[in-house]
Order: sequence, then structure tokens, then C-alpha cells
Amino acid sequence: MIKFTQRNLAAPKQMRPVYVVAAGQSDFKKRYPEKKTEELCVEAFRMLALENNLKVDGVQELKGYIHSAFYGHFADHFGDQLLGEALIHDRLGLDPMGNVGVKTGGATGGSTLWMAANAVASGYSDCVLAMGWERMDEVDTWTGNHYIATAADKDWETELGHIYTGYYALMAQRYWKTFGKSSPAFRRTMSKISVKNHGYACSNPFAQAPARITVEDVEKSPVVADPLRFFDCCLMSVGSSAVLLCDEKTAYELSDDPVRFYIAAGSHTLRTADRRHMEIPLLPHEHDNAEVRKQYAELYGDEKVERYPGFTGFLAARMAAYYAYAMTGIHDPCEDLDLVELHDAFTISDIQTYEDIGLRPYGSGPDYIESGDGYLVDPRTGKRGRLPSNLSGGLIGCMHAVGATGIMQVAELLWQLQGRWDYFHARDEMWQRYSKAKPADFEDLQVPEAKRGLAISHAGVGSHVTCSILMRPEAVIRK
Amino acid sequence: MSKHAYTFDNLHPDATVVRSLDPLVVEKPRAPVHVHTYGGETPFFMGLSKGILLATKCENPKCDPSGKEGYFHLPPRVDCPDCMEKMVWEDITDLARRTARIHTHITVEHPGAFNRVPMPCELISVEIEGVATILMSQLKGAKPEIGMEIEPVFNTRSPTFTILDLSWKPRRK
Repeated sequence: MIKFTQRNLAAPKQMRPVYVVAAGQSDFKKRYPEKKTEELCVEAFRMLALENNLKVDGVQELKGYIHSAFYGHFADHFGDQLLGEALIHDRLGLDPMGNVGVKTGGATGGSTLWMAANAVASGYSDCVLAMGWERMDEVDTWTGNHYIATAADKDWETELGHIYTGYYALMAQRYWKTFGKSSPAFRRTMSKISVKNHGYACSNPFAQAPARITVEDVEKSPVVADPLRFFDCCLMSVGSSAVLLCDEKTAYELSDDPVRFYIAAGSHTLRTADRRHMEIPLLPHEHDNAEVRKQYAELYGDEKVERYPGFTGFLAARMAAYYAYAMTGIHDPCEDLDLVELHDAFTISDIQTYEDIGLRPYGSGPDYIESGDGYLVDPRTGKRGRLPSNLSGGLIGCMHAVGATGIMQVAELLWQLQGRWDYFHARDEMWQRYSKAKPADFEDLQVPEAKRGLAISHAGVGSHVTCSILMRPEAVIRK
Repeated sequence: MSKHAYTFDNLHPDATVVRSLDPLVVEKPRAPVHVHTYGGETPFFMGLSKGILLATKCENPKCDPSGKEGYFHLPPRVDCPDCMEKMVWEDITDLARRTARIHTHITVEHPGAFNRVPMPCELISVEIEGVATILMSQLKGAKPEIGMEIEPVFNTRSPTFTILDLSWKPRRK
């Protein structure tokens, strides 16, 4: 679609407020032969039921509230199991309530939340379970890469290398050479993202790939598809995560500290090839900024330096943010939010997303990292960042168990906004649970006074994107 | 644990390969063949085998023009994404020879399983004047650069009937 009508662009509405009340997850590993997928999902559910200060006496009383369930698992061929949602629903003992499986590639977790939230917002259910999982360890890594590449167009893209990283690298190369002017500084910014996210993973007992690495380590790691190297890429994981969404009345029956939940979705073509040039849908703070509009006219105007969204932007992410900001009243994300969890499938797509969701104007994404804004504490200056991103470690440091990813992000945001990050990350018991030693250089990553957070869940080379926004009830912008 | 390290009294040794005993981990081999159709896109793939590059365009006068870059779609679409009318096939081989350029490119070093392209492979995205889209393909025999002028090469001798029958090389002056 090239031209939008006002109907197309209308602000999405929830017919009644939705709250996120509880969350749980397994730990995440590349290979997890010790446990079946079903066991990992039960683990996430038990954490959700028993460790979120819910006003219920155990799992069974909580199950008495649940009215429908939404399950995200993307890749049937990885898990070698069709209708996994029925299997998990049975293991959770939630029959005979209705359930549905949701799959939209890397955005499966986000889309599962989207469907679950809509069920509450519409009045269909007062209390729903949104759970996601993935099992990616039944095949070797290169078969896994082929499986992932089958999420590209099989006749037109997959044949060309059977490697999804390659399809992202085409974007990275274009971005680097146009916006990045082929500068080594841009390569360094990409590396800093990997260093940051692997570093944050060191303080996350659930995380698969904690590592204290340097920019040089990233830049010496093996090339997967030039310019993307091993450390530029996200993980393949096994694990599960879950959240509980409720209407207002049920939320306060179950919890003294529920958090408002909003979510919106955007989309774009599966093949990057099909992305026709179009005008940029402006976000609220871009509308009001003559400087940014001038910059866009220079980048994408008649003397076109670049196509929009072309190979440098994700229209789906732009639209998800566009709808979500319209829905919640967010004007400038850097001003209005306290932390974000972004879909860092690759360091390059992380930078592209900064621009799509308005953390920086198009063409200026690297500044979000270089300015220190994206850190909890800027390692260069020791100053607090304005809007820390991916304190979980993200997809690069924590996990990408595809169906669980978008839900894990919201779980982490919930605990941050409730001031309970510490409970789930800092206690020795949590590290022992996963047979890990709490590292000597453990950092406290609780964002002080965090009131609002955002999560981006992203599929394909930008085919589906959801934007979740969490706000503490006293910090809701649009009453 | 090596393959076939375990045998069972009641099982043929080839029946199940055990990778671990605790937890019990077994192999589940399979090698299915999918029978796949190109359907309405058949002319494109047959065209490659004959040395012709085919694209489609919408000729419905009521269709809102499809983008600012041009009107051809490559990959071709059978149905117009805007008005849903059938699109019309057109030979753009000459157009591509005259105007194709590299929009972006990468080198693939490590392919996924089942890959048939010799490695390393120069993956390119191709912009062509009058074409609204940017085709993914491969460059052979040269190091790609953004903006490089290129022309199509067709595998007509022993076609694979896949997108691999199309590649590109630097345009002869």
C-alpha cells in the first residue's frame, strides 16, 4: 500500500483498559536437552503464578481466573511439532478454555500479546494468558539457518544462500554506505551495541550469552555475511516466557501493582525487493520539528539520496510506533519513556529501529548510542543514559527463542516498572536455580523510578512489528 | 557419542541412533521431497531458461500508479498489489541491459544448509529504471559496488529452473 487514508491511520482503541499483572520465564539456552518444551512452559507458568505477589493461594486458584489463552511459537519445523499450542495448553491444565496459536516470525511473541490484549480490551475475556516458546536445538546451526531462511520468499530469496543474515546484511551495507558514509565510526557503533547487550546479559540469570567483550572482539569475530559478523547477530535459543493480561477489576483483584498495557502492530512486504518508495509517516515530535522535516526532504526528496523506507528503514516498525504513540499519547519517546527493549536481531537492525520509532531522526540512529542515551550508565562518561535499551541483554545477549522473545521483553519491562528487577535478577537463589554462579562484576540494572517502557517485536526483514507500551497507572498519559 | 555406539537387543542397530542416555536423546532422521509449483510465475522462470528477463505491470487505467519509482514489478506479481487486477507480462531484458545498477550488496561467506550457490557469493540488490522494486540476485566475476552498472547473465545451457538461473556481471561499455 502506498497511499494511506485517515481510516488506515486511525489511532487504535482499547474498549477498556488492559493491565499486565504477572510474568514468568524459563532460562534460555542454545541447546536444552535436559527439558522438554512442555516442561519449560510449565516452569514459566509456575513463576508467573507464584513469584509475582499475586493475591491467590497457589497455581490452581490463579487458573480459576484464566478465561482464554494465546500461544506464540513460530517455527513448527524447528520443534518438529504441529499444533504445539494444544500440547502446551494440556500440560498447563487449561482445558476446556479456548486457545489459539499465533505465528508471525520473529514478531510472534509481540503478535501473541497483541491478540491477547485485544481479547481483554474487547471484553471477550477478563483474564488471559499469553505464552510463547521456541525449540531451536533439534537441528545443527546450519540447518537452523536454512530453516530461518525459509521465512524469506522461497523462490526469490531463500535460494540465494539460505542465510537470513545475508538479507539483513544487504540493508546494513546500504545503510553504512549512504547514511554511514562508509565510515569506520559506524562499524564501531554497531560493535558497541553488541558489547553493551552481551554486557547487560552478564547481570541476567536467564540469559544465554553473557560476555564481557570489546569492540575489537566484535570486529575480529568471523564474518557471517559482510559486514555482519558473528557478534552482530542474535542467538538461537530454547526457552519460554509468559505474561498474564487482565481488565482493571481483575487486575486489582489479583495484584496491588498492575501496570497498564497497550500494543499496536504494523506491517510491510516480506521481500525487501517489493518496498516501493513512499512518503514518511511522521511521528508526533517529527511533525513539530522543522529541522527534522527539512532533513527528511534532503534525504528522501526530489534529489533523492535514499528511497523511503528502502533498505535503510522498517516501515512496519514506524507504523507500529505511529499507532502506539497515537494510542497512548506519547509525543517524544526519549522524553516520555524510561526504558526500552528493542528487537536487536542484528546490530544494524537495532540502529534502524532507533530511527523507525523516533529515538533519533532517520539517518541519525547511531547518535542514540554515541550520545550515551541508550545506556543505563554511559561507560565512557559514567553518566546516566536518558533511555536505556535492552537491559535484559536483548536478542544478542539474552535469547531469541522466537515465540518467547516479544513476551520476555514485556516480562522484563513489567519487573522494571514494578521495581522488582532485583527479585528476578539479583538474588543468589535465582542464579542457583539455573546452576549458575552470580558473577563478581554483577551490576544493578534496575532503572530508578521507571514508570514507562516500550518493547519492539519484529519479524522477517520487517514484515511484522508490534510496539508494546507499559505505563504505571499513575503515569498514564492519555486518561 | 559416536554414531551407532549403542545397540539394543530388540532393535535393528540402524533403527535409532542414540545421542545420549540421560537425558535420553535420539535422532529422528527425515529427507522429504517437496513438489513445488511456480504457478502463475511460471513465465518468469521459463523466461530465464531462454535468456529473457520478464517483469509485470498493471495496465488497469483505474489503478492508482504504483509508486514513484516506476511501474514494472520484479519480482513479477501475477495480480496487481494495488487494484488486484491481473498484471501484464513484458520483456525487460534490454531495459535491464541498459540501466541496471547495484543498489546494495554483500558477500555471503557461510551459507545455510541446502545452499547451491558456490561460496563466497556476491549477493546484490538490483535497481532498474522504470522498475518500482529492487530485485535480489547475485553478481559473478567482479567485486560489487553500490551504483555499479551491470547486465543480466542467463543460465540457458543447463537451467536449474530457480532464481539461480539469473546472475549479473559488470556492463560492457
